Amino acid sequence: MSDLNWIVALIPAFPLLGFLLNALFIRRERAAGLIASGAVVLSFITTLVAIAVLASLGGDAEGSHATRIDFVLWEWISIGDFRVPFGLLFDQLTAVMALLVTGVGSLIHIYSIGYIHGDERPVRFFAYLNLFITAMLFLIMGDNMLLLFLGWEGVGLCSFLLIGHWFDRRSVPPGIVPGEAAVKAFVANRVGDAGMLLAMFAIFSNFGSLNFYDVDPAGDGRIIYGFLSQAANLGGARIDLGILGSIGVMTAITYLLLIGVTGKSAQIPLFVWLPDAMAGPTPVSALIHAATMVTSGVYLMVRTHTLFDNAPTTQGWILAIGMCTALLAATAAVAQFDIKRVLAYSTVSQLGFMVAAVGMGAYVAAIFHLLTHGVFKALLFLGSGSLIHGMHENQDMRKMGGLRHTMPQTYWTYLVGALALAGIVPLAGFWSKDEILAHAWEANKLAAVVLIAASVLTAFYMGRQMALVFYGKPRDHAAEHAHESGPVMLWPLFILAVGSVLVGFINLPSGLGLPHGVLHLLDEWLHPVFTSPGSVPHEALPFNWAIAIVTTLLAVGSGWLGVWLYKDKVASRIKPGKDDPAHYYLGDIWRGMEIAWGFDWFYDRAIVRPYRAVANFLSSVFDAQGIDGVLVDGSARLFGRLAQWFRLSQTGYVRNYALVFLVGVIGVIGYFVLSR
Amino acid sequence: MVPTSYFVLLSAALFIIGVLGVVVRRNALVVFMSVELMLNAANLALVAFAQRWASANGQIIVFFVITVAAAEVAVGLALLVAIFRNKRTTDIDEISTLKG
Repeated sequence: MSDLNWIVALIPAFPLLGFLLNALFIRRERAAGLIASGAVVLSFITTLVAIAVLASLGGDAEGSHATRIDFVLWEWISIGDFRVPFGLLFDQLTAVMALLVTGVGSLIHIYSIGYIHGDERPVRFFAYLNLFITAMLFLIMGDNMLLLFLGWEGVGLCSFLLIGHWFDRRSVPPGIVPGEAAVKAFVANRVGDAGMLLAMFAIFSNFGSLNFYDVDPAGDGRIIYGFLSQAANLGGARIDLGILGSIGVMTAITYLLLIGVTGKSAQIPLFVWLPDAMAGPTPVSALIHAATMVTSGVYLMVRTHTLFDNAPTTQGWILAIGMCTALLAATAAVAQFDIKRVLAYSTVSQLGFMVAAVGMGAYVAAIFHLLTHGVFKALLFLGSGSLIHGMHENQDMRKMGGLRHTMPQTYWTYLVGALALAGIVPLAGFWSKDEILAHAWEANKLAAVVLIAASVLTAFYMGRQMALVFYGKPRDHAAEHAHESGPVMLWPLFILAVGSVLVGFINLPSGLGLPHGVLHLLDEWLHPVFTSPGSVPHEALPFNWAIAIVTTLLAVGSGWLGVWLYKDKVASRIKPGKDDPAHYYLGDIWRGMEIAWGFDWFYDRAIVRPYRAVANFLSSVFDAQGIDGVLVDGSARLFGRLAQWFRLSQTGYVRNYALVFLVGVIGVIGYFVLSR
Repeated sequence: MVPTSYFVLLSAALFIIGVLGVVVRRNALVVFMSVELMLNAANLALVAFAQRWASANGQIIVFFVITVAAAEVAVGLALLVAIFRNKRTTDIDEISTLKG
């Protein structure tokens, strides 16, 4: 079936077509929504077909011959030795990512039809959603770093455009300016992109190619060699940094890639854009900031895993950043009162889990968690959107309460999502999170403890959120009169809820007494990717009973504690506009948690204000006074003065002219007389 | 024979007086007269040298100078009359519209 390889080109083509139609021709909301959703659904179906094509390709059962589809559309750049094809890669890893992007993407598009109804600019919304899907697909389907970077930048752009969807509003709950949030997201991403670019330069200069795997674009034998298989061949090559010493090439490249990842996947220190990104419409938060864009950093590291396998120093840093982010963001999530901000910090925290998994070399576990998280986090975000609509655009959890009676379907699906996130067996989050924790216990005990602490907090803040939103009594007029959402918004919730239950079963570990055939399905599917030349083989771990039991008990306990505290114990002290009662007991610690330990405050003081001061100085002093005053006006004035000075000789008096004439004659004659 | 240098000195003196008259005096007619004086000073010098070298060339040139002087005075006085009709004054300091 290899002559059907062209089908992978259709996967990004549908949403691209949807974007073009919506951007150029469509004016009505109804048509825009249907075209956009239809495009992504078609893309999803095409992905399924492409998977069938991929599965039918040859390759022996050992998986040592990696089978993949690499469909080159044209040779994009060809300058001497620098050749970059516009090639769409479709291997097992891309396949699962594409399933997530198009599958969850379809559901979110359909949900948006209901959510964005009545908005001022629905067509723009759907156009950019489709553009985002296109860019994300290019990112995961790029067969070289440059095409990946095109998608990388594209999703950053779409994130900016969509966060700022309500750009004309001065502020949205809980007090964010959408325009500023959009700029913040883009600037934080940009810092990461700088690292990415430098990494690409380093990769090209050391390996001579930006391609992941070997490809022959024109079919004429002029192969562009992939760099992934060469990763181990650099030996101990080092880059000399002069007085700073020297750094290994692999370490340098992977550090630079890590910078890109911290920007895109919202890790320390560049995560600050994600909580403010909640200023965008909820489907945007679900799609971009939960399921897809933020996971592209993890995808990048998994795709280029041979580089990381050969850079143990960087892996240590990745693990450190991942686990610290996981814990820090979890503490921040506990202290938020805006429903979406809880989920935003939760996403940062879960991304920390995935990044930590990569740092341990547990790539399959990272992808597994990426997939499960994509499903249940999208569910939670869409559920929160349903709640916000039902609460007439209120997002403050202190105003909610008792919504399980007025919004039952949202309640049950949200409960499933929350249990999945907290890692309660047998839902999806349990399997993926436990696999990461099992790997952590083997790799680094400290990391395991930190991640377990983050899991405990995860369960706690979800319990707190459930209690504040669904249990107890309504605390506001809007909550008393909340209405359930319509089917267009509820059906995606149902489907995602079912997904949250089932998707955990794609990578069941051994050691549970389950039949061999259902185990490690994801592991086996991804096997060719992680045994391609240059990879360091990793063993799948058997089920760690101790970790699983301990963490599940802790999660259940802290979740129940969260519910009990906020449903019964302090429920009467929660009032709209007032601080959380925990503030009374924890004081400044609670404040610190609320502001995510001051990253925003620090960046504001250290970077934003000096930058603005310099900009103001340059614009009002240097530019207006200096350049305009001295150079522009000054040179004009200079010539004016000179002209005035010269003008003094134009007296108009004949006698003056005659005098000058006389002086000239004397001068000339004198010269001739005296020079004899 | 009177030494030629006396004539040349006299010619120089007359010339300088003429120049000063052109530069200092404000009445246009006086300026014209000063110009004539300068021309005649030149004539004197030419005749003096013609006598010295016993050549008629100097005297022929004097003829030309006198003719040119006459033509120039005609034009100059015509200009002066035209200006006087406009400005009702012969003070050349009043004719300063080219100022600036």
